[in-house]
Amino acid sequence: MDMILQKKSLAPWLERLEGYDIYAPVRQDDIWNYAHVTDGRDIDLGYPNTVQSPKPIIFPQCETILEFSASEDGTPVMREVIPEPNPFVVLGMRPCDARALTLYDKVFGGDIKDPYYWKRREKGILVGLACTVPPSPNCFCPTVDGSPCSTDGLDILLTDLEDRYYVESLTKKGENLLNDAKTLFKAPTAAENKAAARIKSESEKKINRQVRQLAEVPPKLAGMFDASLWDEEAMSCLRCGICTYLCPTCHCFDIADELSSSSPLKGRRIRNWDTCQFPDFTMHSSGHNPRPDKASRLRQRILHKFHYFVVNHEAYQCTGCGRCISLCPVGIDIIEVLDKVRDYA
Amino acid sequence: MAGKYEPTIVAFLCKWCSSAGSDLAGVSRMQYPPNVVPITVMCSGSVSPLYILNAFKKGADGVLVSGCHPGDCHYIKGNYFARRRIALVKELLEFIGLEPERFKMSWVSAAEGTKYTQIIKDFVDVLEPLGPQMKLRREQ
Amino acid sequence: MVNLDDLKKEAKRILQDDKVKYVVGYTRSSAGPLASPVFIEDPEKIGELIWDASCVQNLAKFLLDEKRRKGRAKKPDTRPIAIVVKGCDSRSVNVLLQEKYIERKDVFLLGVSCEDLGVVDQKKIAQRFEGKTIQDIKFDLSPELAVTTEDGTVKLPIQEVLADRCLECQANFPVVYDVLLGDKSRKKVDEPFGSLEEIESMAAPQRWEFWQEQLGKCVRCYACRSACPMCYCDECVVDTIAFAVAADTSAEEKAQKIKWIEKSPTKSENFGYHMVRAIHLAGRCIDCGECERVCPVSIPLRHLNKKLEKAAKQLFDYNAGFEPDKPALVSSFRDEDPEDFIR
Repeated sequence: MDMILQKKSLAPWLERLEGYDIYAPVRQDDIWNYAHVTDGRDIDLGYPNTVQSPKPIIFPQCETILEFSASEDGTPVMREVIPEPNPFVVLGMRPCDARALTLYDKVFGGDIKDPYYWKRREKGILVGLACTVPPSPNCFCPTVDGSPCSTDGLDILLTDLEDRYYVESLTKKGENLLNDAKTLFKAPTAAENKAAARIKSESEKKINRQVRQLAEVPPKLAGMFDASLWDEEAMSCLRCGICTYLCPTCHCFDIADELSSSSPLKGRRIRNWDTCQFPDFTMHSSGHNPRPDKASRLRQRILHKFHYFVVNHEAYQCTGCGRCISLCPVGIDIIEVLDKVRDYA
Repeated sequence: MAGKYEPTIVAFLCKWCSSAGSDLAGVSRMQYPPNVVPITVMCSGSVSPLYILNAFKKGADGVLVSGCHPGDCHYIKGNYFARRRIALVKELLEFIGLEPERFKMSWVSAAEGTKYTQIIKDFVDVLEPLGPQMKLRREQ
Repeated sequence: MVNLDDLKKEAKRILQDDKVKYVVGYTRSSAGPLASPVFIEDPEKIGELIWDASCVQNLAKFLLDEKRRKGRAKKPDTRPIAIVVKGCDSRSVNVLLQEKYIERKDVFLLGVSCEDLGVVDQKKIAQRFEGKTIQDIKFDLSPELAVTTEDGTVKLPIQEVLADRCLECQANFPVVYDVLLGDKSRKKVDEPFGSLEEIESMAAPQRWEFWQEQLGKCVRCYACRSACPMCYCDECVVDTIAFAVAADTSAEEKAQKIKWIEKSPTKSENFGYHMVRAIHLAGRCIDCGECERVCPVSIPLRHLNKKLEKAAKQLFDYNAGFEPDKPALVSSFRDEDPEDFIR
């Protein structure tokens, strides 16, 4: 169902959504990031892409998965801690970030469902914002089967029409959200329909960067484990981990126990984000490290995203948001690396 | 007395001077507040900033580092290094907004049992109105 | 005026004369307006080198990689490597020399003077063009950069978007070098610790609020640590259980390793990590500003290190990175060191 929402009605709409936590991009000093918003008037959707994707909302940086303590006779007692979040709305999600969640669904779903992930995922209603202009000079979503107006993973998609939004509800959840504030929405006119369609078809042409013939890369990578390319490309890598921490599709984590007291025993087991770019990511307790250098870790990142994930889940583990390119301290450019892989002899 | 706030002081005392000084206070039956957790270290120069930060993290309301007077260090120079290092730690703790009254350093010799008790008494008096240290304390 | 052709000539010469294994310099990047480090082995590829106000990275960091590489190789190539160094970067090299982490013969320093400018802060440029889409930024050797938006191209004086650290620069030209290009006159800086004023003028409760908010943003990505040339420990204090193990390390030994700082990004652990790092860098940090530049959540990290730099100067008359033959800040003392804070 397609509707029109005047921009000045955005805050009133959010106010009517009782019982939902609202997350939207806000300005924090000199960068944009998603944050919990209590006043709809703080929201400004005229933002370039956020530095951090909305992934911490659904896959937090640090999450307690169980708590343990010792009972009086010393036997350990463990208590599962499954999150029970409030229903929430994420407003202004870019299509690349929403598509990334569909990739998480494959990883955390399947035969065994990760309860911590799904408890949050199910409570979320995702309202996306189509990219009229590319939010980043390094966007390349069409290359990886995405689009600046893709609806994958979204419940509602907003398209900016100057002083109003073209609102498409895509799922039952999305429709319910519109129904909560029916009076604020109007049916679109034919002109508005045309305007939205035009903006969307033009948006893809505005994306400057691409990897031509990306489909050639996955089979090429299969034979490139020992290629010298990785040494050359990884020379300037600082193994800082920014590429993976900010990536909306990266999902590696580390499980650790933290004690708050040792006698009596009391503590919790937590899940933290981890990254294949850290030197100790594959450190074995014997001291052996199968990925001891930056070249092997860069190779891992590229192979995981463009070969292993393709084999396991039939999709690229990348949605073309460009964050890893823009924020890499030394400018390692995944598009350039993929070009070189494709042309590697 | 239930409910009255009693500050906890973690004191890193060098074995050869300050710890001996605190022992002298003990055998002389000098009365002083029991709010101190004394930790004997070999030399004030061996006190790492990690010990101090961890003491605050574990909930110490005040931290004291005490060593031999300059010139009297059992290891000749240890207390001179401590003098520098602790100054840096103090600057940093104040810079991040921790109350400067919570972190102290002193020279206490093995004969200065009285001085030690006075330092502790004054420290407790200064800490009481500040309340428990919640800033660097680890959340439970 | 630094002559880029002279830089390229010097770099080519040392490669052709087989004096160095490779040259680490700066080159144009496809990722954004700032330069990228480039590693050149082939003297014919020297044309890739650039030098302008976008060359922000501290290339001394790659000396650490080179040392690790040599440590792992069975028959290491002991030829030196060459790096292009700005004034600040050269001070890092001095600290590494002072700590005997590298030897002077391991590195050939191609020094470039920033003269009276420095490097730009990308965020400041973005702020100047708020609401517009920056399509291109062009640097050259002039004191202006050209920014193209949908409104056309404007020239912006570099002075107006200089990185904060350049406004407090203590070494606008390299203090150690094998070759030096550009003018060797000291830039005048009125307030070498001016950036600390705002925080120092706050009362303690406000200072705490400020740091609690800023360090609360930390996601423990450790980019600050990875970007810092002085963070070269094989086993960092936050990684105590990860590294120094071998096949014959007993289980008991591993179990007894002290975990000073937990991995979770909670308040006490974030404070612990950043404060310990600041103390470990006391007397070693030369304010290259990379830690703050790379932080993905914009924590003003420089200030923590700058505070200790100020303490080192005012309390102990110590300046990092100028005298590699003198002992380090924390492994030396003077009779006149202040003790007014000691009872």
